[in-house]
Amino acid sequence: MNFIPARMKALPIAVTLAAAVAFTMSGPAQAFEKTPQGNVLVFGGRQPVPNLDPSQKYDWSTRMLQQAVYDALVKYEGDPAEIKPWVAKSWEESDGAKTWTFHLADNAKFHNGDPVDAEAVKFSFTRTLKIGKGPSWMLSSVLAPDGIEVVDPHTVRFHLKEPYAPFLSFLPWWYILNPKEVTAHEKDGDMGQAWLTEHAAGSGPFKIARWQQGTLYGLAALDDYWKGWPHQTHPAGVIYKLMRETATQRAALIRGDADIVEGLSPDDYEVVKSMPGIAIENHPGMTTFGIMFNTAKGPTADINLRKAIAYAMDYDALLKVYNGAATLEDSPFPAAIKGHVAVKDIPRQDMAKAKEYLAKTKYADGGLTLDYVYVQGLEEERKIGLILLGDLKELGITVQLKPMTWPNMTALAEKVDTAPAMIAVFTTPVATDPDAVAFQYAKGSWGKYYGSHYLDDPELEKMIIEARQTAEWDKRAPIYAKIQERIVADQPEVFGMLANRRWARRDWVHGFNFSPVHFTGEVDLYQLEIVPK
Amino acid sequence: MALYIGKRMAFLIVMLVGLLIVTFLISHVAPGDPASLAAGPDAPPEMVEQIRHEYGLDKPLPVQFVLYLEGILHGQLGQSVRTGHPVTEDLAEFFPATFELVTVSMLIAILLGIPLGMLSAVKQNHWFDHATRIVSVSGVAVPMFWLGLMLQLALALDLGWLPLSGRLGIMSAPPDPVTHLYLIDSLLAGQWDVFRDALSHIILPAVTLCFPALASIIRVNRAEMIEALGQDYIVNARAQGIGPFRTVAVYALKNAFLPTLAMIGLRYGWMLGGTILVESVFDWPGIGLYATQSAIAQDFQPIMGVTLLIGANFMIANLLVDLAYIWLDPRTREAA
Repeated sequence: MNFIPARMKALPIAVTLAAAVAFTMSGPAQAFEKTPQGNVLVFGGRQPVPNLDPSQKYDWSTRMLQQAVYDALVKYEGDPAEIKPWVAKSWEESDGAKTWTFHLADNAKFHNGDPVDAEAVKFSFTRTLKIGKGPSWMLSSVLAPDGIEVVDPHTVRFHLKEPYAPFLSFLPWWYILNPKEVTAHEKDGDMGQAWLTEHAAGSGPFKIARWQQGTLYGLAALDDYWKGWPHQTHPAGVIYKLMRETATQRAALIRGDADIVEGLSPDDYEVVKSMPGIAIENHPGMTTFGIMFNTAKGPTADINLRKAIAYAMDYDALLKVYNGAATLEDSPFPAAIKGHVAVKDIPRQDMAKAKEYLAKTKYADGGLTLDYVYVQGLEEERKIGLILLGDLKELGITVQLKPMTWPNMTALAEKVDTAPAMIAVFTTPVATDPDAVAFQYAKGSWGKYYGSHYLDDPELEKMIIEARQTAEWDKRAPIYAKIQERIVADQPEVFGMLANRRWARRDWVHGFNFSPVHFTGEVDLYQLEIVPK
Repeated sequence: MALYIGKRMAFLIVMLVGLLIVTFLISHVAPGDPASLAAGPDAPPEMVEQIRHEYGLDKPLPVQFVLYLEGILHGQLGQSVRTGHPVTEDLAEFFPATFELVTVSMLIAILLGIPLGMLSAVKQNHWFDHATRIVSVSGVAVPMFWLGLMLQLALALDLGWLPLSGRLGIMSAPPDPVTHLYLIDSLLAGQWDVFRDALSHIILPAVTLCFPALASIIRVNRAEMIEALGQDYIVNARAQGIGPFRTVAVYALKNAFLPTLAMIGLRYGWMLGGTILVESVFDWPGIGLYATQSAIAQDFQPIMGVTLLIGANFMIANLLVDLAYIWLDPRTREAA
């Protein structure tokens, strides 16, 4: 007997599903999005922008959009990164880098037409200092709100607490907000913080058009931007579309759903670079990778052990992790940092020397185990850990790979007693001034993830403070040369490599203007243009 | 019945408080400092301290917990350190996307799973039965993440039939929010193009997400149907000349459906809290991603908010299943 009724044989559900697919079928997108206003560029990025307020937050994705909707007194552009006049058309320092005076452009205006004047500059800097979040740390030790003087509507003067030569190098990240708009949206004395998480009160080349948290952030270009545009064919807008997986980013780029993507894996870049219509931006970056030692506690407090490990490391293997798209560090300072010098004694693999140094320690025959802590899920860090494991085996040192979440890792780094023997660290300086890197090795950095070295070298400390308080570059440069040599001699880390910054873009996207001071996937959207074929 | 529902609701509240205590303790004993993470890697200690104070993280744990409970009584779930938004606002923003995805996914699983389970039982050890066994074993064994990527590559990238990711096309504006479910809101607004766009975007993630549930429904329904089809009342029905469709789809299915229904309830609650991988692959702006990002940032209050919401949904889904059980089975009605 046949139990399957005739009515059930047709599989109507399958037909329904097929019909649904047919009903919704969409052909692949061919290019950038076309709108009545012009062409809109789509950027596929992994990291969301939960808070756009320039006084509260900065990371690469946040800062990319902040720079699109806000202006600062000065701006970083180009490779090597140079500080260019922006809202400030000129400036001068006096009193040995203790007083800084800025003359503002006459035509700078906010999106609502209000002038960008000295009062707005004072309001914005004061707001950031008072809120005490985001970029506040960059200047809070040298600048107090009462040190900001409005000389006239187009002149603002900063009186610092002490001479501070790197002052200018941090200003590109201090954006200017419209005081009227911010004040109008204050709630319970929050200085507009809640409103500014998803709104802007700026004067930049773009304004916010759509803000769908967790999905996309849409910007519309201002044709009458006060500073003008570098290209006539600038996009009518930019959509920053969140794409969490590199596989999705890659597929979106190939389909034409995205015009430019960041963060593909090294292998993905190899795959897409030969595809027609796709170009790769591949630039030496400023993000260093090092294996930081705890120089104060445990076996790695012995400099000879640190030297032994540094000489045992296979540096060429590090480059292979990035398929060659990286360069070895020749100094603790990246090449893009002002005052960089190549330190000739920086360790390269030399097992004889490694054994020589090991013999000077109490672990001459090896037999010790060291932790290598890295961020869970970061495949490159894991691979580097495996290289280290193999290399140190020859010295009789066992390496324990310990993947950890970022919060757990930074929590360990906060105390000298818990700081791991070896910790994988990527560091991107926020400015091109050498102080931004040198200070990572000062006591003031202890407890931060890049300060888990707990290096205590009074001579080095003295030079770092002296250099940041010296105004003339001719006097600073030799100090920084000595600082670089001193850091290498102290060996607080295995100085690794600088992975290239890479983006994949469709070839109709022009005007890509790389600057090494930009973070991870950050792009200067203002410079981009669409040139249809 | 009202007394039964009242008892269950009271039990639900007790369970939620228990859930809150456990989540609160777990999230606070984990190493890491949300204030430090929010302040950024370069922030000096005084800046970290200021943020800690602003969000009440400097208070003793019991005080923090009591303040949190007080907030809940006032409809507040605290504020996210990461986003700077009230947690209730964030949940209202992200939960509807997950709810819509899980509901569509479960509907697909039910609409496919019950007929397939039924047919497998009827055609036991036939090729059709073996074929559905492959589907159901794969549904449990194949990682959702991988399946999503494969479907994406095949149907979106290679064939270009369906969109790659997201909830709507990049240039489409969401429909006016009524329920915050795009499929329903677009229909209510009569925006057919938006409905079509939303439907095309939900197919791939919903199909990916439905596979484990589909597998369970097929297997449970098949097993129950086999047992039901061997019962005397089925033999009796056949002897009375009742047609095969009515015998199988009405008499046998009604009895075999109860365990399947219980499993659907459990699965639905589980799916609401288990969408992270699918949301990640398809850039679905749901609560799974929000929860993960909050967990990475050790942002306690969103973690608690999400746990509370998912827990409540899980319990409500089970309550509804129990009520449906009572409605379907007169014996349990008596007991209730």
